[in-house]
Amino acid sequence: MDVPRTVTAALDDRPVEGRCCLEAGAGVGNTSAGLLDAGASRIYAVTNDSEHARTTRDRVLDAPSRPDASDRLAVLDADLRAIPLPDDSVDLIAAHALCNVLDPAALGTVAEELRRVAAPGCHLVVDDYEPLPDDAAVRELFAVENAAAQLATGRPALTFYPAPVLRRFFTGDGWRVERERTLLDPVPWTANHLSAHASAAAAFATDCDGDVGDALAARADRLATDIGAESTGRMYSLAFRLAE
Amino acid sequence: MTFGTIALNWLEQEGADQMVEHVLDYGVNHFDVAPMYGDAELKLGPKLRQHREEIFLGCKTQERSYEGAWRKLEQSRNRLGVDTIDLYQVHGLEYDEELDEITADDGALRAFREAKAEGIIDHIGLTSHSRPDLIIDAIDRIDDLATLMFPLNPVVAGKDDGEHDYEAVLQRAEAESIGTLGIKAFAAGPWPDTDELPEADRPFCNWYRPVSAPDEIRERFDFAASRGLTSVVSAGDPKLVTMICEAAADYDGMDESAQRSLIEASRHDDSPVPEQLHH
Repeated sequence: MDVPRTVTAALDDRPVEGRCCLEAGAGVGNTSAGLLDAGASRIYAVTNDSEHARTTRDRVLDAPSRPDASDRLAVLDADLRAIPLPDDSVDLIAAHALCNVLDPAALGTVAEELRRVAAPGCHLVVDDYEPLPDDAAVRELFAVENAAAQLATGRPALTFYPAPVLRRFFTGDGWRVERERTLLDPVPWTANHLSAHASAAAAFATDCDGDVGDALAARADRLATDIGAESTGRMYSLAFRLAE
Repeated sequence: MTFGTIALNWLEQEGADQMVEHVLDYGVNHFDVAPMYGDAELKLGPKLRQHREEIFLGCKTQERSYEGAWRKLEQSRNRLGVDTIDLYQVHGLEYDEELDEITADDGALRAFREAKAEGIIDHIGLTSHSRPDLIIDAIDRIDDLATLMFPLNPVVAGKDDGEHDYEAVLQRAEAESIGTLGIKAFAAGPWPDTDELPEADRPFCNWYRPVSAPDEIRERFDFAASRGLTSVVSAGDPKLVTMICEAAADYDGMDESAQRSLIEASRHDDSPVPEQLHH
């Protein structure tokens, strides 16, 4: 698999080689692949989504293109609010597109855990999306997804934190900001992304009471089709470090 | 930019003459032609001769032998109706054996060098569509290369494997002061199978399915130009040429974050991975 250039651009000025790394929120394993290629000595890819864990194992751990992956990468089915790693054990944490799926309460708990497992001098990379511009058509799709999620779970599916907010948030937790860079401008929300978000909305909608779930699922599907694809917004990368 | 004169093949002579004037009006002065581009050499001829001093003329041959290269060079000079060719290129290098062949004592490069000594050609170049590693071998083995021509677009730039590592070629060429000419900058993907879309029903004459909206053309030009190429070669369909000239005229660089945006969009358009919410 090819490592997305969002990942390579976020890691290329970070000291990955020979470091013990944590991919916080493994997704489909893109960042684990990037960390492997950059020479990490050990990578823990943590996710509580079993499908993501399976995809990461298939694409990265068992891929013939990275024959030594199993020596350096462990995919852990675990919740980031209770990371199964000891205190002070990780040299670099990558949270690539993680924060937007954490509501403020979850973000606070996850950040405490990241701080706990971080060794002195640890690096933290936080890559995420700025809130979408007012005129972005995809805002409505994400609003429908959030409405379905709120009704089904009492929490939003997506929260786009401005970069200055996460800077202040992590700084308050003892991390020192080392740099900020733009990964994507604009962000290409492709037909594949919109279809995935419409599917996520539909999945939440099945747990909504009454007719509202069906209406939200249908609306998400229609929005994804009508919008097609849209390039809008900004994805940023923040790099932090703890004192030695 | 470089005008890919294969576009002339699809025009009648009068239209071809107009196209050359049109492109020159934009200030484009590098023209690339080849004998295998239908009758592009013949159609370029009249206006090329009229504007010979303004045009830096690139031509190429697929011949690998000494005799074959001389024969094709003479044929191209006759068909174009010119005495000299500014850049003559080994075309479409694909196999290691071909590199051995052209560099052998009875290989094409001996003919190129004789032609250069006689003042018939001015520079030697090489094109390859599928082998970055072979291009780098060629740089190692041919010390008088002036240019390289190879594919560069967001699809290619997003792939990590050696088969697509044209970034390494760009870096090496820059270190060796070799010019770089980017092709397939406007390729969106392959054509559908002919069962689904017969060749006769394709709306463009390119070998690949091109991007065709003005904004997409502009993005693709800006992307290719901003990767460090010496020149971006225009697409082969005449319907696209004006849009490419406009994009080139307006070119003002492209931020790395915007380049990544195009790479990321291509990656998701063509992804075998389950649908993803993020980038």
